[in-house]
Amino acid sequence: MKRLVVAVAAVLIGLAVACGGEAPNTGTKKYRFAVIPKALDLPVFDYARKGAERAAKELGNVEVIWRGPETGDQLKQKEILEAFITQRVDGIAISCLNGDFLTEAINRAVDSGIPVVTWDADAPNSKRLAFYGVDDKTGGRIMAEEAVKLLNGKGTVALMTSMGATNLQRRLDGVLEVLAKYPDIKIVETFDVKEDTVKAAELIATGTNRYPNLGAWISVGGWPVFTRNALVPVPKSTFVVSFDTIQPAPQLLKEGRVQILIGQKYFGWGIEPVKMLADIKAGKMPPAKVIDSGVDVVRQDNVDAYIEAFRKLEEGK
Amino acid sequence: MGVRAPRAPVLRRLWRVREASTLAILLLEIVFFGWYLWPEYGTYHPFLNSANALLVLKYSSIYGIAAIGAAIVIISGGIDLSPGAVIALASVVTGGLFVEGGWGLGPSVVAGLLVGVASGLLVSLLVIAVQLPPFIATLGAMGIVRGVGFVVTEGRYYDLSRLLPRAWHPFGIPLDWWPPTVMITLALVFHVAMHKLQWGRAVYATGGNETAALFSGISLPRIKTSVYLISAVLAAVSGVVLALVQGQGKADLAMGYELDIIASAVVGGASLSGGRGSVIGAVLGALIFGVLRNALAQIPGATFYDRMIVGMVVIVIVVMDQILVKRGA
Repeated sequence: MKRLVVAVAAVLIGLAVACGGEAPNTGTKKYRFAVIPKALDLPVFDYARKGAERAAKELGNVEVIWRGPETGDQLKQKEILEAFITQRVDGIAISCLNGDFLTEAINRAVDSGIPVVTWDADAPNSKRLAFYGVDDKTGGRIMAEEAVKLLNGKGTVALMTSMGATNLQRRLDGVLEVLAKYPDIKIVETFDVKEDTVKAAELIATGTNRYPNLGAWISVGGWPVFTRNALVPVPKSTFVVSFDTIQPAPQLLKEGRVQILIGQKYFGWGIEPVKMLADIKAGKMPPAKVIDSGVDVVRQDNVDAYIEAFRKLEEGK
Repeated sequence: MGVRAPRAPVLRRLWRVREASTLAILLLEIVFFGWYLWPEYGTYHPFLNSANALLVLKYSSIYGIAAIGAAIVIISGGIDLSPGAVIALASVVTGGLFVEGGWGLGPSVVAGLLVGVASGLLVSLLVIAVQLPPFIATLGAMGIVRGVGFVVTEGRYYDLSRLLPRAWHPFGIPLDWWPPTVMITLALVFHVAMHKLQWGRAVYATGGNETAALFSGISLPRIKTSVYLISAVLAAVSGVVLALVQGQGKADLAMGYELDIIASAVVGGASLSGGRGSVIGAVLGALIFGVLRNALAQIPGATFYDRMIVGMVVIVIVVMDQILVKRGA
């Protein structure tokens, strides 16, 4: 028994060390803001984390707790959100896997005095104080319009999405809305990659076999451009339009494997919500309920400038 | 020829109770995080408060209810990989019939539970009639059940919360209290069944030594059918509770939870070689993971460590359990 207790104590101490071993520090009051991404395993959110931590450092009186489900598991995300509410953090910024699912919990947080803002993916029916991000439907429309231009208004298109996420569904709706206006463009298939870059690569390979004369791929998420090799099977005659612009995507664009990339404000996802929460704490409400971050449309002619601007952001300039 | 105490000291006797070590680990865990997360200012403890306790119970119940079934299957010498998928499909069926089918809540709930019956019967058929190993049979069932969920929903979800009353108190109990209430009730019922009924002893005997069980007159097909049926129905209960409490039916819910559920049962003392385990232990195991998920979330910088920590905890607890069993033998 004694040995057992010692063993357990040893594990728990090890655990404490693994967690950074920081003893509860005393000192001036800092605001604790919880920043919750959709998942920890998507590279785009890493830039948001850097942005959030940088904003916290600049503000000085803010501590950011970055916490999300490991994969896009909406139940685990809700559990994390609810845990932050019972912990009474000073503010919450969340990118919602499923806005409707989280609405009740977000309302409870706001009702109990914890300001909540959303970023990247909204919960439009909740009492959240503001949303910062892309209007997804507009993003989808832009993608489809660019694809139509590439195809000169006719040809076949394969779509790629991940079923279940509200924001991806809205992007897809935007794409479909525009394509519906062009009777000469035919959608051959809508593939569900389940938020998995490996699965995306596999689907691109099998899709290319099945539709060798495909006009274009339109992907409402960055799965085809998150890895270097996913687009290798695609022939030169097929255009690729994809969401997201983090490396290696711009490099792939320079190599001509992808023609259009739609970029989001990845650092802004972290910076803006943290600043908004700090403002709210200081008594200043956000200027609007929905703050459109806009998108960057990256093509062959502006890719170098984009890469340079991104590098500067990454270095914190 | 010294004086020998007629019985072991109270503490040691208590320790012989199967669930005592699991409970001790849970309590130690709570004490540790209570100390570690002691508030730096103000009087409000972010971890040790009743709202947080309810939160841990509510979310652990999703795993805990299914882990009762998983423990029973493991005790019988089998394994069930399908509970995550059954949870999702039960939530989809209940949600779909209630929201889009225009069914009443009662019939929708019953239909959701029937998902468990169907899946359990499928697995039993594969294990007994086709003689597939349980790992393969339940792996197949997992894919089929999960697939049906996607075919039915096509990526959409059913929003039950829209139609359920606000601040709902079914039978006078607040909605958030329901998952733990169901979990604890089922754990007690199955604890009694496993120890007081002939059926329960037959499950232990089957897992301990199948041949011996056969020769002592136990009907193996009947026992095996019952354990897979119970496991799938309990997973369906978890799915229905999830749909009602969280207000949604969705095909990608509880993805990968089968491993967490099995881990709960194993941490609670179930031996994968069969014949040993406890349903109450499985529930305590689910709570151990629930506390970890909750408390680790409060430690800045722990985000990327928690998978690793959970993995280490599983191994340490099981190793300790083995040492304990060896010493007891």
